[in-house]
Amino acid sequence: MTGILETRLGPLKLKNPVLVASGTFGYGVEYEDIMDISRIGGICVKGISLTPRPGNPPPRVCETPAGMLNAIGLANIGYDAFISGPLQRLRELCATVIVNTYGTSAEEFAELARRFDKVEGIAALEVNISCPNVNAGGIHFGMRPEPAREVTRAVREATRLPIIVKLSPEAIDLAGVAQAVVEAGADALAVMNTIRGMSIDVDTRRPRLGSVMGGLSGPAIRPLAVRLVYEVHKAVSAPIIGIGGVTCLQDALEFFLAGASAVQVGTANYSNPRTSLDIIDDFETYCIEHHLFPSDLTGKVQI
Amino acid sequence: MKWLRTTITQIERPAPGFALLRFAGQPEIQGEPGQFVMVRGAWGNDPILARAFSLVEVGVHGAILVRVVGRGTRRLADMRPGDSIDVLGPAGHGFDFSGKGDVSVLVAGGVGVAPILMLAESMAASGQRPIVLYGARGSGELVLCERLASAGEVAVATEDGSRGHRGYVTDLLLGVLEKQPSAHLYACGPEGMLEAVAKMAVRRSVPCQIALESPMACGKGTCKGCAVLARSGQYLYICSDGPVLSADDIYGEEQ
Ligand SMILES: Cc1cc2nc3c(=O)[nH]c(=O)nc-3n(C[C@H](O)[C@H](O)[C@H](O)COP(=O)(O)OP(=O)(O)OC[C@H]3O[C@@H](n4cnc5c(N)ncnc54)[C@H](O)[C@@H]3O)c2cc1C
Ligand SMILES: Cc1cc2nc3c(=O)[nH]c(=O)nc-3n(C[C@H](O)[C@H](O)[C@H](O)COP(=O)(O)O)c2cc1C
Repeated sequence: MTGILETRLGPLKLKNPVLVASGTFGYGVEYEDIMDISRIGGICVKGISLTPRPGNPPPRVCETPAGMLNAIGLANIGYDAFISGPLQRLRELCATVIVNTYGTSAEEFAELARRFDKVEGIAALEVNISCPNVNAGGIHFGMRPEPAREVTRAVREATRLPIIVKLSPEAIDLAGVAQAVVEAGADALAVMNTIRGMSIDVDTRRPRLGSVMGGLSGPAIRPLAVRLVYEVHKAVSAPIIGIGGVTCLQDALEFFLAGASAVQVGTANYSNPRTSLDIIDDFETYCIEHHLFPSDLTGKVQI
Repeated sequence: MKWLRTTITQIERPAPGFALLRFAGQPEIQGEPGQFVMVRGAWGNDPILARAFSLVEVGVHGAILVRVVGRGTRRLADMRPGDSIDVLGPAGHGFDFSGKGDVSVLVAGGVGVAPILMLAESMAASGQRPIVLYGARGSGELVLCERLASAGEVAVATEDGSRGHRGYVTDLLLGVLEKQPSAHLYACGPEGMLEAVAKMAVRRSVPCQIALESPMACGKGTCKGCAVLARSGQYLYICSDGPVLSADDIYGEEQ
């Protein structure tokens, strides 16, 4: 640990720019038996809502070429249980906690932000206006600039915590959404959440997911995510966290060159839960060998 | 739970389409019958998710029994000694067989024999001699029968009648339950078989534990992908609440 990887995303200071993506690492504490989770740049916990959510009917996951579909439906333990349970342990373990929040209205997002503002041990909020697996809220706020702006503004007014807004690849004009949320006070942007997909079992002629459609993630979506990071980086100056199919240092570097200042590892945690730590180690070696800081790479793709 | 990058030490191929993979513990693989491991080889993105397999042996070597059904299981079955694999486990809750003295009846369908074999051998090691009922489509899909026979009293059923009783393993179970009304049941196999076994048990108020399967991603209770709707109306998760659950919790009658 040389400190060479230290990263600033606006007001948010991180040990390194390699985070784990919401929904793919639980509440973080589940992994303390197999790795030192305090080394991760930031743990974006499973999306938290004001009250617990049971989730969608099964099957909820299926594998697809170089990726997977999920329709979890934001199953989570809710604000109270998170605060009194996993968060305590995360604090003891000195983990960097980023709380992914989910609401069905701008007011619910604001209420969550108000509550988390008073809680110790939280580095930032990641506002999820891009979940494709819920009937209300989620992606519906992320499709167009105005609802995205409204949610971000409500959250901004409710908290002093750094705010990351997590964007959807399904927005018609993602650069426009990005500009709107930055104007409304977002400190950083997370690009991207899953994109809706569908898979059918041809033997049974039924969809492979209980909710028919689900969010596609994994290496299959990486080129799409890299393109969106590139476009958003050209449109706004706020720092961008690149997400989508990161499995190794090479993948992370691709996002940096496209315009990211950090990355999140999602689906790859299911191949190997220690993926983020491997990337951190490789990134450090790379920076030392190339005499550079990660931020020197941001947006440096040669066109 | 541990995450290990280890090597395959030995492979047995008990029948076409099956492989018993042994891998080095570093120093030991731990686990109870019914618990499982998430396994993956160094094969890039295809497939990308680790695959769940019941533990068959623990100790200085761990072992899993793989039945080839798709790409991941094909890749595992094609591995060779010395190849690297990643193993996460032991995961989930196994069978509770502490109630000694009862008659234990173990029911296996297809590759469901994997945890049932480990359970039978663990029972035998603690001085019990369980009854083991083992069903498959045909005799070519009955594997590890000799090991089963040294651990318990085995009866087999095949759908094509190529060995043992012609029909379903549940036919055998009906006969056993008539003679042994106070049995404890332990079952693993395809969903249809588990449902039939569970319903027979629930109807007779016989205690019954079933090991369930579902597509899953994390194996650690974090992705919430492997939900199963319990009788209570709540979702249970196969990887963290199970894979062994009580028949009553899943297939119990509405109250
Ligand atoms: C707790 C648990 C224990 C298991 N123990 C064993 C074992 O001891 N031996 C063994 O051979 N198999 C076991 N399985 C099943 C094994 O995980 C699947 O067969 C495997 O994941 C299929 O991978 P694949 O890439 O070969 O098939 P895929 O190409 O992914 O799928 C092929 C077929 O298998 C089905 N399938 C996919 N994943 C699963 C799954 N996790 N469970 C059930 N069906 C699935 C698919 O719907 C499809 O019909 C277990 C599963 C669980 C959840
Ligand atoms: C099983 C699963 C659950 C997820 N849950 C959430 C969630 O609760 N909130 C959220 O913002 N994103 C969620 N995501 C999206 C991921 O955080 C990430 O944006 C996406 O998977 C793309 O990254 P990847 O390709 O590295 O997986 C989930 C993804 C998966 C696979």
